[in-house]
Order: sequence, then structure tokens, then C-alpha cells
Amino acid sequence: MNTTLLKDDLMATEVIADPHSYYRTLRENERVHWNERWKGWVLTGYKEAVDVLRDADHFSSDRMGYLESELTQEERESIAPIFNVLKYWMVFRDPPEHTVLRMLLNKLFTPVAIERYRPMVRKIVQKALDKVVSNGRMEFIRDFAYEVPMSVILELIGAPDLDRDKIKEWSEAIGVFFFIKADEPRRREIACEGINSMVDYITPLIQQRREHPGIDLISLLISAEEAGQLTYNDVLATCVLLVFGGHETTMNLIANGTLALMTHPQEWEKLQKDPTMIKRAVEELLRYDGSVKSTVRWAKSDVMVGDKLIKKGERLLVSLSGANRDPLQFDDPDALDITRDPNLHVAFAHGIHVCLGASLARMEVEEAFSGLVRRISCPKLEKTAKLDYYPSVVHRALKSLPVTFQELK
Amino acid sequence: MAQVKITVNHNRCVGSQLCMHFLPAVFEMNESGQSMVIDANAADITSIIQTAEQCPQCAIKVEDTSSGEILFPPPGLGF
Ligand code: HEM
Ligand code: SF4
Repeated sequence: MNTTLLKDDLMATEVIADPHSYYRTLRENERVHWNERWKGWVLTGYKEAVDVLRDADHFSSDRMGYLESELTQEERESIAPIFNVLKYWMVFRDPPEHTVLRMLLNKLFTPVAIERYRPMVRKIVQKALDKVVSNGRMEFIRDFAYEVPMSVILELIGAPDLDRDKIKEWSEAIGVFFFIKADEPRRREIACEGINSMVDYITPLIQQRREHPGIDLISLLISAEEAGQLTYNDVLATCVLLVFGGHETTMNLIANGTLALMTHPQEWEKLQKDPTMIKRAVEELLRYDGSVKSTVRWAKSDVMVGDKLIKKGERLLVSLSGANRDPLQFDDPDALDITRDPNLHVAFAHGIHVCLGASLARMEVEEAFSGLVRRISCPKLEKTAKLDYYPSVVHRALKSLPVTFQELK
Repeated sequence: MAQVKITVNHNRCVGSQLCMHFLPAVFEMNESGQSMVIDANAADITSIIQTAEQCPQCAIKVEDTSSGEILFPPPGLGF
């Protein structure tokens, strides 16, 4: 592990397989660490993560702005399609524009607003389970974890019949741009194709909703545009962001959470016996092995983080997984305890960019696990299966999860 | 003016600043980036409840001071 640490290789096979051990070692050595290979700071402590994430005055999220400043004119033109959408994503914007967008969109995603979708989500979960429970085995991600969030986001944008496989393919292509291997030589072309296809798909949908408004999210965004609160670019970019951000993260959490419970069957049984534990359990699954491992900020001026001076313009990788296992914040942090309370984890980040979809994700994952413990026994990994994760610094994403189980009658 | 007691649960507040932006006369951020109530009487009850609803963490509790009734959050909401 120490040699890997020295090499600062965040994509090393053993780091991807077991990020928690790597970040633990790093945290024990140097909570704010200069990673020479990535040319930026890596933060693995809870307090440092929270200090940075809650301080938008000193730390910028303007990823597109910083990227643009590093590129030549020619490079910039080659990725124009990506720029023209992603620069309007709220997640990459700073105040005051971020504040305006967030205050508007937040109303659609409050815990109260999300409750009205619960019956719809419950049905989607039941339907997905009906298809597989009697088989006694499934590829958990394809057969369940993927089905639920994808169906939900398509319902929310009012397009349940859209081609899911295409959306998945384009989302993955866009993801290549920032999440997956930086050494993929065609990453920019792949991402441009993904974004162009998604935009081509969503544009007529927006047009159609403008003519025939409904109660879906796109219609709500259009009415904000018509009221002069959003621009068309905001509407289009937000649709892409919701589709892109709305399914994969949730799918991965359902998968990671299931694996966590499979390796702690006593916690699965606790939940099965007492379904009222579900809310606390979901928080613990988010903390224990959340689906977003890290996020990035840029220092807007010289600023201290922990004991280190960060210079203006330098970037910081905030390890959410590292912070979530910091013993200074969480007792026995490597233990899975579905009754843990309080549990102020950073799985959805903190501060002004805290996940907009958090209440939706929580509700979906609550419904998913409530459905699972009601219908099947604690799953077991297929004997021949080997766990393998996608090589990403950001996503904690299993490639597949083949399991066996018994149907509960 | 409102006759309510507002409490922010610091085991839940993630410092989104949303409450402060919606009702700057009532909420402010403290030095660790979490919300605190500066004046519970600076807005009407409806706006206070609407603002508490915006909290992604259900960290804001609103009580009627005379009856003790919890005006927000409703039972079962939050986590
Ligand atoms: C378990 C599932 C999810 C996880 C772990 C997750 C995680 C995150 C994190 C860590 C951030 C902050 C990024 C940063 O600060 O740089 C974020 C932001 C965001 N997420 Fe999620 N997310 C999830 C589900 C969703 C869903 C279902 C949606 C949409 C329907 C969504 C939409 C967004 C948006 C729009 C932002 C940007 C918010 C802003 O900039 O104010 N997320 N998410
Ligand atoms: S809205 Fe909630 S999470 Fe955000 S600052 Fe206010 S109390 Fe904290």
C-alpha cells in the first residue's frame, strides 16, 4: 500500500478495488496531501472536507472555467458541444448564478415534494421484483439496481417510453469525459458524441412540452424559462444533468448497499425484522460505501486547509469516502451499523452544492431496500463470481453483482 | 408576527445556505458553516414553514410557542 501511496496512483488496481484502505492509510499519514501525479491536493479527513465544501467563498466549482483556461483554442473548439452544455450545469457554477438556479430547482426536489412520487416508485420496485424473485438468482445490477432509478427519472421527465439503453449508453459516454480513465485517447470525441445524441433526443421533448405542458420536470423548467427565471440553455443543460445524474449514482448505491448488507447479514436481518429502521439504514449505506467517492474544488485565493497552505488556482480532490470513514467523526468507522445516529456523512457532499436529488435518491433507495427485505432472503454472491469495479476516481461502481437468494412467501 | 420557535438540528444541517437565502432576516450561517436562527420573529409563519420545507436535510423544526404543536416537519418526513 505504501508504494502505491508514494506513486500517488488513484487509479491503481488495488485502490479501485479497495479505496477505503488506501484513503485510510493516506488519512493516517497526511490528511491534506499533495498528489504529485494528479497535481493537486487530496483531502481524506472529515473536518477538512466539510471546511472546504461549506466554503464557496474560497473554493470554486467552476470546472469548465478552469478547464477552458488550460486548453488551446483548437482543443476548445474540439469539445465545444460538451462545453456548451456543461457550462450551464449548476454543479459546475459558482454563486451568484448557482444560487438563483438552485433556489428555483430546489422547490421541485424538497423532501415534501418528493413524497408524492413514493407510490409510483413503490410500484416500479414491485414490478422489477416480480420479474426476478421466483428465479432464485439474478444479476442484481442489470435486473434490479438499474431498473428502478432509470424508470423513475424517465417518469419524472414525463417520458417513460424513452429508450433506456440509449440513455445509458450516452450517459456512459459523457461520463468518460470526467470520470473514467484520463488515458482513454478518444475520451473527448466519445463524450461529444454522447452529449450531442442526448441533446438531439431531449430537444424535441422540450419543444413538445412547450406546446403541451404537463406536470413533469421538463414542463416545470419551461414555465420557469417563460417566467424569465431561466434561460433556454439552463433548461436544456438541466434536463441533461437530471437524466445523467439521476440514475447511475442511485443504481450504484443500491448495488453497493446490497453488497454491504450481504457481507453483514446480521444487519440485513435487523432491517428485515424492523422495517422502521429503513431511513437510518439508508444513511449508513451512504456513509459506508457511497456511490460518489470524491468531488473537486479550486482555491479562489491562498487559503489554509488543515495545516497546509493551498495556493490560488490549485485544485483539491475532496475524498467523500475518506471523510465518511474518519474516526475523528465516526465511532468505529469501518463497521456497518444501520442504527448509527447521528450520521452526518458527506455522501451527498455538504454546502451549496449538496446533492439536489438527495431526497429523491433517499426515497428510491428506501423503497428499493424495503421491497428487497420483504421479498427475498439475504442474497449471496454466486460461487464463481468475482467483484470488479469500474476504474473511476469519482464513482464507486460495480461492473456486475450476480447473486442467489430465496423468495420469501 | 410569528409566534414560533425555530430550531436547527446541527446533527443534520449540511450548510446548504438555502434557508439563509430564502429568509435572510431569520437565518444566518455560523462560523462552521451551519445555519442558526437570528430572529424567529422576522417573518410570518407561512414563509418560515415554506423555508423549513426547502431544507434538503429536514434540519429545521418549527413549533407553535403557545400550543407546542410542531408545524414542521410533519411526522415521518425526514430521516
Ligand atoms: C445515491 C445517489 C446520489 C449520490 C450519491 C449523489 C451525489 C451527489 C454529490 C456528491 C453531489 C455534489 C457534487 C459537488 O459538490 O461537486 C451531487 C450534486 C447533484 N446531484 Fe446528486 N447524487 C445522487 C443522486 C442524484 C439524483 C437522483 C439526482 C437527480 C434527480 C441528482 C442530481 C444532482 C444535481 C442536480 C447536483 C448539483 C447540485 C448543485 O450544484 O447545487 N443526484 N450529487
Ligand atoms: S437549509 Fe437546512 S441544511 Fe441548508 S443551511 Fe439551512 S438548515 Fe442547514
